[in-house]
Amino acid sequence: MSSSSYSSSPCAACKFLRRKCMPDCIFAPYFPPEEPQKFANVHKIFGASNVSKLLNEVPTFQREDAVNSLAYEAEARLKDPVYGCVGAISVLQRQVITLQRELDATNANLFRYAYNEMPPLRPPPPPPPSAAGQSSGFYYPYQWNDPSDEDNERSSGGNM
Amino acid sequence: MTLKSGTTSACAACKYQRRKCIPECLLAPYFPADQTKVFQNAHKLFGVSNIVKILKSLDPSQHAEAMRSIKYQANVRDKFPVYGCLGVIRQLYYQIQLLEEEFHSVLSQLEMYRQHHHEVPSQLELGMAPPTNGLHFLTAVSDMPVSMQHSYSNSNNIGYCSSYVDSKDQNNNKSNSNSNSNNNNNSLWIQHPFLATNNSSSSNSNENNPLMAIQSQLLVSNTQPLVIQHEVVQDYDELHPFFDTIDDRQFFIHSKEPYDSSCEDSAKETTQAIELVPNNELKNAAACFSLTSVH
Repeated sequence: MSSSSYSSSPCAACKFLRRKCMPDCIFAPYFPPEEPQKFANVHKIFGASNVSKLLNEVPTFQREDAVNSLAYEAEARLKDPVYGCVGAISVLQRQVITLQRELDATNANLFRYAYNEMPPLRPPPPPPPSAAGQSSGFYYPYQWNDPSDEDNERSSGGNM
Repeated sequence: MTLKSGTTSACAACKYQRRKCIPECLLAPYFPADQTKVFQNAHKLFGVSNIVKILKSLDPSQHAEAMRSIKYQANVRDKFPVYGCLGVIRQLYYQIQLLEEEFHSVLSQLEMYRQHHHEVPSQLELGMAPPTNGLHFLTAVSDMPVSMQHSYSNSNNIGYCSSYVDSKDQNNNKSNSNSNSNNNNNSLWIQHPFLATNNSSSSNSNENNPLMAIQSQLLVSNTQPLVIQHEVVQDYDELHPFFDTIDDRQFFIHSKEPYDSSCEDSAKETTQAIELVPNNELKNAAACFSLTSVH
């Protein structure tokens, strides 16, 4: 925002926090006053100070993307306090797996048909649910491996 | 720092805050003392007080799952500071789009072969010579336009549609509508599985179209608990180099999502992203890539 921001209305963050919106306010470019709920959600889940620290660590040209992703995650967490946006990741990952299997089976079918070996087969039935790892009923596709600890060995191995 | 009993050390959260870890500590079961990095990531993103607030708003039976998702989200954010989990979602969505397009293409080819299979007997009856092989159909159908009938990615309503993300792109629409009906131009969002399984009854009845049948199977499978499929960990491990070799700026796939504030370089980014996407045999990735939205 320009130096004439003194005359313009404060950003949504400063309005929410009831403080003066300075010209160098880090939130101002990304939390316009017309979208108060955006900051409210982000503040509720992550906190203004955490968001400020995160934005300071990110290059300026990427801050808008960072804010938008935080807003998305905050809204997802508000709608689903248990899984947040991770629920969507899990569903998408399963779709990828299913699609890949379907594609492999259909490709095999196509090759069979292309060489006139046999009529095309019907798509394979979906795989039955596995009995293993149903304690949580949730799939975390991306295993974050911390070399300094054995988080995955415990939390994923124990709960999954 | 140990308790007076001397048998249990403080959890990572209490260690960090330099306070006594009481037996009723909410975070102790989820942040063992040796998982300092995990706690730091969670604390950096959410903060201890916010995590405790989330847990207190939930039933105790849900705490474990909530903490897993919180730790996961924080760890992903640590790895991808700009896009976080949203980046993972978009990458998966892009994979699904590619797979769907390839699947449609293969189905079209199969249909051609089926038709040929039916025509050959009639040609034989008419005394016409059958073709020597069916491979010429491959070149014929490869030029056919892929019919995007119905896809997994856009078939359902948006679950976590963010009006803030959309508002930038949809003609500066400033309305703060947080409803789930905002699925006009954003094919990124999918329906939450629990919402889908509760409401989807009509989808399961469509069996005329094989794609719809597959989709109905998918919806049915969504009702079942998710399980860990270890072979997929392999697939996902293959993505790890992908995540490692690119930075956040190249991470995103261009689409018509409203989330393209950095879209000046999106064309270049997406081209690079295509090159980095593994395990796809699409011959015309560039053509597929030009499909910025699926409707």
